[in-house]
Amino acid sequence: MMSLSSFVQKASSLIDPANFNIPSLSSNDNNPSKASLFRQQFRLPDSQNPLQEITAELILPLPNSSSDSADGSRRVDRAGNRYTGRLHLSERFICFSTQPTSFIPSSTLSASTSWTGQTHGTGPSGNGFTLPLSSIRRVERLHSARDVFSLALTTWNGLLNKQQEPNFSPQRLILQLVGSRQACERFCDCLKKGLREGMKEVDNLRSIVTDCYSEYLLSGTKAKDANDGEGRQPPDAGLGMLFRYPGDARKLRDRSKMRLWGEYFRENGRNATLVRQPTFHKLIRVGLPNRLRGEIWELTSGSMFLRIRSPKLYEETLVKFDGQESLAIDEIEKDLNRSLPEYPGFQSDEGIGRLRRVLTAYSWTNAEVGYCQAMNIVVAALLIYMSEAQAFFLLSVLCDRLLPGYYSTTMYGTLLDQKVFESLVEKTMPVLWEHLAKFDVQLSVVSLPWFLSLYINSMPLVFAFRVLDVFFLEGPKVLFQVGLAILRINGEELLDIQDDGSFISVLKSYFSRLDESAHPRSENPKLRAITRFQELMVVAFKEFSGITHSTVTEQREKHKDAVLNNIESFAKRTSIRNLGPESKRLSVDDLGTIYDRFYEVLYQWQQHQKVAEEERMRQEKKKSERQSVLGPPVDRQVGRVGLGPSPTHMDYDAFREFLAATSKWAVSDSPAPARKDSSASGYSSLRGNGKSLLWANRRQPADHEFMQRLYRKWATDPEEGLSLQNVVNGLARLKGAPDIMNNIHYFFSLYDDSGNGQVDREGILKMSEALLFLSRRGFEGTITATQSLEDLNSPRGSDADQNRLTTDEKFLGSVSAFIRRCFEYADPSHPDNQKAVFSDNTTEVTEKLDSFAIGDDDDDDDLIDVNDDEKPQTSSAAVSSPQPTKSCEKSRPRSESANPALDPNNPLHITLPTFRMVVLADELLEQFFESYFPQSFHLSDRPHPASLAASSSLSSNLTTFSNIGNARASASVVAGAPVAGASGGIVPPGKGLRGVLDNIVTDGIRMAAEVKKRMDDAQRELERNALGGRDEEDDEDDDDDYPSRQGASGAAMAGGISSWGAGAYGADPERRRVREADRDLLEGAEAEVLSIRAPKEGASSHRVRSPASAHDPEVVSKVVEFES
Amino acid sequence: MSESASANAPKPSSSVKLVLLGEAAVGKSSLVLRFVNNDFQENKEPTIGAAFLTQKCTLPTRTIKFEIWDTAGQERFASLAPMYYRNAQAALVVYDVTKPSSLTKAKHWVAELQRQASPGIVIALVGNKLDLTNDGGDAAGASVAPQVESESAGQDGEEGAGEEAEGQLPASGDARKVSTREASTYADEEGLLFFETSAKIGTNVVEVFTAIANAIPESSLKTGRGAAGAGQTALGSRSGEDSRVNLGDRNTATAKEGCAC
Repeated sequence: MMSLSSFVQKASSLIDPANFNIPSLSSNDNNPSKASLFRQQFRLPDSQNPLQEITAELILPLPNSSSDSADGSRRVDRAGNRYTGRLHLSERFICFSTQPTSFIPSSTLSASTSWTGQTHGTGPSGNGFTLPLSSIRRVERLHSARDVFSLALTTWNGLLNKQQEPNFSPQRLILQLVGSRQACERFCDCLKKGLREGMKEVDNLRSIVTDCYSEYLLSGTKAKDANDGEGRQPPDAGLGMLFRYPGDARKLRDRSKMRLWGEYFRENGRNATLVRQPTFHKLIRVGLPNRLRGEIWELTSGSMFLRIRSPKLYEETLVKFDGQESLAIDEIEKDLNRSLPEYPGFQSDEGIGRLRRVLTAYSWTNAEVGYCQAMNIVVAALLIYMSEAQAFFLLSVLCDRLLPGYYSTTMYGTLLDQKVFESLVEKTMPVLWEHLAKFDVQLSVVSLPWFLSLYINSMPLVFAFRVLDVFFLEGPKVLFQVGLAILRINGEELLDIQDDGSFISVLKSYFSRLDESAHPRSENPKLRAITRFQELMVVAFKEFSGITHSTVTEQREKHKDAVLNNIESFAKRTSIRNLGPESKRLSVDDLGTIYDRFYEVLYQWQQHQKVAEEERMRQEKKKSERQSVLGPPVDRQVGRVGLGPSPTHMDYDAFREFLAATSKWAVSDSPAPARKDSSASGYSSLRGNGKSLLWANRRQPADHEFMQRLYRKWATDPEEGLSLQNVVNGLARLKGAPDIMNNIHYFFSLYDDSGNGQVDREGILKMSEALLFLSRRGFEGTITATQSLEDLNSPRGSDADQNRLTTDEKFLGSVSAFIRRCFEYADPSHPDNQKAVFSDNTTEVTEKLDSFAIGDDDDDDDLIDVNDDEKPQTSSAAVSSPQPTKSCEKSRPRSESANPALDPNNPLHITLPTFRMVVLADELLEQFFESYFPQSFHLSDRPHPASLAASSSLSSNLTTFSNIGNARASASVVAGAPVAGASGGIVPPGKGLRGVLDNIVTDGIRMAAEVKKRMDDAQRELERNALGGRDEEDDEDDDDDYPSRQGASGAAMAGGISSWGAGAYGADPERRRVREADRDLLEGAEAEVLSIRAPKEGASSHRVRSPASAHDPEVVSKVVEFES
Repeated sequence: MSESASANAPKPSSSVKLVLLGEAAVGKSSLVLRFVNNDFQENKEPTIGAAFLTQKCTLPTRTIKFEIWDTAGQERFASLAPMYYRNAQAALVVYDVTKPSSLTKAKHWVAELQRQASPGIVIALVGNKLDLTNDGGDAAGASVAPQVESESAGQDGEEGAGEEAEGQLPASGDARKVSTREASTYADEEGLLFFETSAKIGTNVVEVFTAIANAIPESSLKTGRGAAGAGQTALGSRSGEDSRVNLGDRNTATAKEGCAC
């Protein structure tokens, strides 16, 4: 159990910014974490986390460079602009926004999600800046009269260029921090640290910045405009420089836009050191000038920051993978010639080559996405305005952040956003929605390409780019706003349509007339001058200004499960159908169960490992600086089939999990080793849904040689792992043909290592070990000893025989007989090898004849053998001995020397016929292979009819997970419990059970006597032909025992987890109670107290959730103490 | 591209929703383009989501207006397909005769449609790119004489578009990797219409659509799309109908006229 001190320690470690990456509470609720909100807000790379924040006032001094007299009057208005807002610090960025948002982990969620202002938190909104720390040249603490804590930031703005610009003066920003002195100092300390790091990146920054068109624009050459007076080449601003930009530059008033931007840059900084003022947003809304478009996109989307981080990544990627092939590359090649083919640049090798390189490089850096059609169109569009490297990084921002999941292999993001769009249409235009529903017109068939290719192939290019200008600044909600506006504007016409075809044609003709006047017949010339596109923008951003990022996020969350389920059921359907002929031996239900279990296990296993990895990182106090700049976001979910490429193969460990969910015998006897507990528990605190609960309390899989053999047998390539096909084929072999001969053969082949049809001594021992392993949890009623065997055995009445109360124990006897017989009828290997093969047939016959005699003969010896054999086994086997109850018998004298078959100098082997004969010679073994073995693999409740036919009786207590959580009293275990019940290693708190076991083990003799007495009683009863009752009782024992054992181990696990110090949830009701306690605590508490509590919730609550409810008040009081 | 339905058609007109499915780059869009515009483009923009086109097909007794949903072929777009084949009365499942994997994919689509699409959907299995095979080459070269195929049911000899000069074949050998027999046997088993086509030179393209138009049961036409018509009856006499359609087309001078809008 966690102590108060450790709790306090953890809480205080939170305050230490070095530990920022403790999973925050929000990820529990499927909400984006604050860190990711922060990154979204300022468009920062995934490596950034909010470290410090403080209220501050930004004072922008008058620019000294008053060169253009024409601008003089305008500047007066803006003299000494002051903005109050929040100043944020991450590892490598300092950001300021006038929006009152808070992102540090301790802030309340409500504060961090209340977006206001123009962009509603989806982009660099409000007035302020996002500066890489490397762009800051100097920070001064200003001496000020009173208690004002002022900093002056001097940036590298304009200084990284070799050429000195005329009338240039350095950019200087004054920040007045508002807060306690301590808070200000802390902020400054952190800033200092960051600045030192930032200095290392100045060279990167320089290399990026000097290539920016803005620098070129502001440098001396700009006076002569496009004329290359000084011979300096303008930086690459896309294919448009070679093949013209789309649209009429004069009509677009490109030159005056350029002038305005130049002016803005001079006053407010350019590229990495730009400060956002209201004009910035306005300038973007009216459309960007051609040559600056790429740069501003790069800036507003934040992809520039990625590029600053690793300026050479694009080129390096191309070099690294040069000449390699992939599926993605094939797919890319197919589409190269069909990407914006109407643009002259893409009819040339130059354009095609650029497109090829960008798409290929991206497919290498993000192999999960690879290449998706529509990416070619988007990238082609980007390349008109940007260089290859710029497009490469912007594509990555698109795929990871702006269009999450759009281009993934399942395209779930696309489908999800279609659902979101539909629901927004329903909400905002109910009449139209009903009309479409009435005529069965599916909206998404029209709108899907809008979103998937960002309107690029729906609207004329010039207009699509205008949409993109705003999209990169304000985020994905722009796509929704524009889409809704299109429908609203065409609403009247759309109410007349009656099928998909006319729906499409209405919109098509609308798009083709976007440049026409929206009010052609208006008297007012101003109104007449408004184009349809302008109208569209106004409707989109005014009328639908209520569609914000949080609207979209909310709706996405709402529909996400349904969409994923749809995709997954589609995938499941397809995948099961394509499993091939072998799978037909299993029922569809069975296949469905296998499929679900397979992917569930893979998913859980992957999550599990991910958390374990995080845990490890945290323990090593490693900053989670990501190795690669690109790639999937850090806080995404992984592994769910619907989300995209999930692993398709399970390794051996995952296979064990699979088996544990399938077969009782694959569940470990002992609770998990500590290592697993710690990671599993951290895991469950990360994911809030029920699955994690199940996982934390899941059955720990056993690890047995038999399982390894199964794994190797099923896998096509054990290195690669098991595919679904492998598992299905494997199970189909076992369950699909319910034929005892087949099962025996299969089992034999598992041990036929050399594939020559022989199993040696070692193999025989392993086989018997496996038989015991498989049987140690009882037979679920599939095997019953008949009376005849009972009768045969009972009169012999040795001590050992007395023990054979249950089927399980009888089975033990069968196994011992099995070993003995195997050795007896084994063929000597080495010298007579050839002879053995030669005379195989004859020996088989004779052996078969003999075997029946053996069955009756010397049963007495069996136990001697079994004990002797078992001793080495148990010491070597990974699992605990299956039969502690029998430990009393182990004191028997060893008689190995008496058995020549065990002489290691005498190599021998058995063949399949021998094995088959030995198995068939024993009733229990026969039943074992006939029904128990195949049936121990539990699939669906409705097996294939064919396999049903063979099963003698289907056990009713099928393995389910549902009862795991409910700890049942375990005291009911009695001495007469079957062997399996006594399987050792269960630790407290199942004390009742353990106590009984301990007694059994330590007081073996007394036990034996007791058992004998019971046996005698039972014998008498039996003799009064009460066999049926006997069996029933056995079964009852089985039934009682199993769940209670489960309960015990479940509880034990919960205990173990909680003592390992992370938040595994115990039983549900307890959890709920804790939540309530939390709520009470939170109520009326100070915001700051909340902030400390909130992220700790995971850590504190798990402690409360330990099985012992007595802890609750204690913990609560501790928390209160801490807070006060 | 889509035309508003003209109200005063001489014959009873009804629309049929048809969806094209198949692996990427087997020529789905090209088939449609050939059928709708009698055109062929080497570089068509890839289909994003789906493209929608319409084309009328005039039968002796009625006019069918095909509403064609041409879907994207890339594997990851597969999960979007249900959106498009919803309510479809006909489907063209296309594979590439030079690419065996595409037939496998086509079989998957057929299975998907049979289980998930509206009951009674008329499915045609179409092996495209016949121009890359010797059959196609012979057909294009020997312009007049209907060729008797050793394997095929005889559709390959169709010379509807023999005048298309652009169909230059590589003089080298046969690129065919999927035998006509294999595909047609499968089509028979599953009760599908079966054709081998070349969108590039136009072989059999119109025939496919005409055969589908004929196979659509009247009953489902009357009730409009989405009706779960009893398509099986029409499919029952499929093989006979195939030949009838082919014969008919051979007689109607050029196939294009048979299906003008």
